[in-house]
Amino acid sequence: MVTLTASPPPKARQAASRRVSPLLLAFVLVPLAVEAFWVFWPAIQGVYLSFTRWDGISPPHNVGLANYRAMASDPIFRSALWHTVIWLVLFGGLSVVGGLGMALLLQRERRGIGIYRAALFTPVVFSLVATSLIWQAMYQPDGLINKLLGAVGLTSWQHYWLADSHTALYALIVPALWRQIGYVMVLFLAGLKGIDPVLYEAARVDGANRWQQFTQITLPQLRSVNSVVLSVIVIDSLRSFDVVWSLTKGGPYHSSELLSTYMFSEAFQSLRLGYGSAVAVVIFLLALSVIITYLVRAFRESES
Amino acid sequence: MSSELTRRGFLVGVGAAGAAAALGGCATSTSSKTAKQTGGKVTLQSDLSSPQAKAAMEKLIAAFNKRGGAQASLNTVAAETFRTQLPSYLTSGNAPDVYTEGAGSVARAYADKGLLLDVTDVWKSMGNYSAALKNLSTDSKGRQIFVPTAYYWWGMFYRKSNFAKWGVQPARTWDEFVTLCKTLKSKGAVPIGIGAGGTPGTPWVASSWFDYLDIRINGAAFHRDVLAGKHSFADPKVKKVFSQWQTVLPYFDPKGTARSFQDATTALVQGETAMMLIGTFFADAAPKEVLADIDFFQFPIIDPSVPVAEEAPTDGFFASSRSSHVSGAKDLLTYLATAPAQELYTSQSSGISLPANPTAKDSGTALVVKGKAMLANAADLTQFFNRDSSDALQPTADNALVKFLQKPDQIGSILTDWQTAATQVRSH
Amino acid sequence: MSVADAEVLAPTRARKRDTGAQLRRRPNRARQGRAVAYHLVVGTICALWLLPIALVIITSFRSFNDIAAHGLGSAPHSFTAGGYSQAWSAGGEKHAMINSFLVTIPAVTITLGLSAMAAFALSRYRIPLRRTILLVMLAGNLLPPQILLVPVAKLSEVLGIFDTLNSVIAVHVGFGLGFYTFVLQGFMRTIPTEIQDAAIIDGAGSIQVFWRIILPLSRPALAALGALSFTWIFNDLLWAITVLRSDYRMPITPALLALQGQYVSRWNMIAAGSVIAAVPTVAVFLRFQRHFVAGLTLGSVK
Repeated sequence: MVTLTASPPPKARQAASRRVSPLLLAFVLVPLAVEAFWVFWPAIQGVYLSFTRWDGISPPHNVGLANYRAMASDPIFRSALWHTVIWLVLFGGLSVVGGLGMALLLQRERRGIGIYRAALFTPVVFSLVATSLIWQAMYQPDGLINKLLGAVGLTSWQHYWLADSHTALYALIVPALWRQIGYVMVLFLAGLKGIDPVLYEAARVDGANRWQQFTQITLPQLRSVNSVVLSVIVIDSLRSFDVVWSLTKGGPYHSSELLSTYMFSEAFQSLRLGYGSAVAVVIFLLALSVIITYLVRAFRESES
Repeated sequence: MSSELTRRGFLVGVGAAGAAAALGGCATSTSSKTAKQTGGKVTLQSDLSSPQAKAAMEKLIAAFNKRGGAQASLNTVAAETFRTQLPSYLTSGNAPDVYTEGAGSVARAYADKGLLLDVTDVWKSMGNYSAALKNLSTDSKGRQIFVPTAYYWWGMFYRKSNFAKWGVQPARTWDEFVTLCKTLKSKGAVPIGIGAGGTPGTPWVASSWFDYLDIRINGAAFHRDVLAGKHSFADPKVKKVFSQWQTVLPYFDPKGTARSFQDATTALVQGETAMMLIGTFFADAAPKEVLADIDFFQFPIIDPSVPVAEEAPTDGFFASSRSSHVSGAKDLLTYLATAPAQELYTSQSSGISLPANPTAKDSGTALVVKGKAMLANAADLTQFFNRDSSDALQPTADNALVKFLQKPDQIGSILTDWQTAATQVRSH
Repeated sequence: MSVADAEVLAPTRARKRDTGAQLRRRPNRARQGRAVAYHLVVGTICALWLLPIALVIITSFRSFNDIAAHGLGSAPHSFTAGGYSQAWSAGGEKHAMINSFLVTIPAVTITLGLSAMAAFALSRYRIPLRRTILLVMLAGNLLPPQILLVPVAKLSEVLGIFDTLNSVIAVHVGFGLGFYTFVLQGFMRTIPTEIQDAAIIDGAGSIQVFWRIILPLSRPALAALGALSFTWIFNDLLWAITVLRSDYRMPITPALLALQGQYVSRWNMIAAGSVIAAVPTVAVFLRFQRHFVAGLTLGSVK
């Protein structure tokens, strides 16, 4: 299912004649050092900060596990965690369903299909800032969504979507999905392309209907893509900060607060950088538990 | 070209990785690099990003540079970026020299941490400034750390033509105010506009209602004590503020928590809402041609026995103690404190603010004369919620007040939650 | 499918053949009808997808007074390109656009260069610990960025590059390396060894092998990653505002945010600013559409 490979496939592994020279080691070590400097070293400092109390100005105080203990009894942290779970389930579930559905609809080459695919994919290349500006305009009290609802007689459905604590979280998932579904669709399209058409031919000869073909051939054949899609979605939703921050900042009154926005506002608005770092460590641990499975899998495949 | 430089930056970086590791905890160190360069321009970091204010600042700096001597350059960033980045500006090794800021406890808190330049000698040229302003610019050690340049007022703004059309008069007392709201509602207008939402949100304008109700009911001294943490937000006296507020809540714009104050200004100008409690800065968001039709009245008196205080936020500048252009920065501050500089700024901006220098002429419009008189008659002046407490406390007020606007019946739990959040912020 | 399954499904097969025969009798009408239905459904979905973009483009050509009087959701009553010229010059987008290119082009080039080097060595030679190195590099790419903001700002200050475009480039390079190296080494592994062996017999050193053979053969992967990383870096907000302080050094995405902060209810200008900011990435997308899709799947579908 490799979409892009130089052909023909490799025959022999590495030739014995190829020795590892110091130059080659430098080829690896220089990029590794650059990444260590800009990523790993700051990450270690972030973890260190999570054990301190720090306002960003005076020297930090070591407080041990106090930040983590405070988190356990912090109702806003708990509701942010809960919202993150809701986000994960809804955002993740709907982008899989939507992405797979659109991939199935758009998999066959026919006239106009390129335009359809491009339409769904266009939002992926927009910056999150532009995306949130676009959706702000949609969600304005006198914006397009409320106008359209009014036009079809659903005035009782009109809402101040982002200002209402009951709808804010869900109103934020829509723009996030708008950007994500095109991405997921492309992943599934590539996966669908990799399925041998002979399998369907055989199933049709055996008289399998569309649904049976889908559950018995398509889904099992997509399994390797599925796990990739899941990992991508979990990582993206744990990090989906920009859309929420630029549209509601987690408000009104924390009703759309996610772990990532809570971390940011604690650290940079309330200047509790130690506590904010501790929340970031929790985000990291959550992401890591998912990423480990992804890494192990990705690695196994890169070896095979 | 820049890629070449970066590659070199990298090689340095790779070498420095080890060194930085040895430094230990370098993320938290405040760089010890201090003034070395003497040349170069004084940098002024400004959050006055609205189009008119920005243009006025540019003219002001151009005028300063024309005098000869120290030269300055202006750097304007969005107000929100400015607020979140200010601590890192002030602690960075090559900090900007001069900053726009409001007077009050925010500036004092930075001064207490040793981050602000002592500008006592700049104040020597400011002998004619009022004692109140000097007091406001003095830190806990008795040094002046702030140079005020302008102040403004908050009031209940409305369009004269609309009030005439509806046949209503401004209110002086709370009872008159409630009657006014009733009449306006019967005429089909939304009586009270507010812009405590939107994106980027301006929930902080809701604090003006809290501030004003508290200083009208409990007085300015009690208000300052609440903000300083000497009384709980769940105190029965604070609760009284909200029960008073509740009596006019039905007259508030239901879109109020979904709009920014700029969008709410548009609604006021369009006649959708009738009046709005706002600071004079809102004029920047209004079309110039309607300004002549704008008037205001004082926030209604609730308890005549409470001395009348008004919100009068003071704007000005402070300088970083890490500045590498100390004498240039002081030159700039001295210039900004002069009457000609403040007159230039007033004439170039929307003009509805009052110069801090008593000899400087204000724009002299009827609106400004009225605002100035209101402040002059006040028994006491407050700054604003965040300026009288801290920037970190402001988000706790935003959450509590927006929730109150939407769910007034939950006021009990709102106030206890507010107190919990405030304690957390103050404890860091 | 097992034999048993096939037997169970047999009746269905018979029925299916019948419908097939019925359909064959009027093939054109049915096929046409289905095609119309298909295009109707898919066309509607795509139209809904493009609706927000259309709204922004329409809003960008309206006048402020029109929007203030009729609301954002109403049909336009005016047409002006004034929002564009305001956003471009007074809003400072022209300058920001130049900054964006000054950051994006070197950052993409350096990242791809460095990760191609690492990928070359890791995929074509027996580097000790290569498994671990790859895993660690990729893991770094998946950290939540917010935890790194403060330390990264202080690091660039220690290096003396804080508030310069170089610091933005450096940060992007550091954060891109892991993912690109991982993807590129996966691609380079599939290049047959015979070509390389032949070159070595002809006396080529590893630099020549890298430069003359592996890099040219990796062009499709490099193009795909180049197109992808262009949009990622071009669209960045967080790193730019972390390591930059001066307004005249800000790239287009933070500039768009500042524009919104400055002209809050001037929706025509904000919409025009958003359109301007999106033009380069949309252009790259349309030009390199094929590479793009390949790039997205490259990293994940294996």
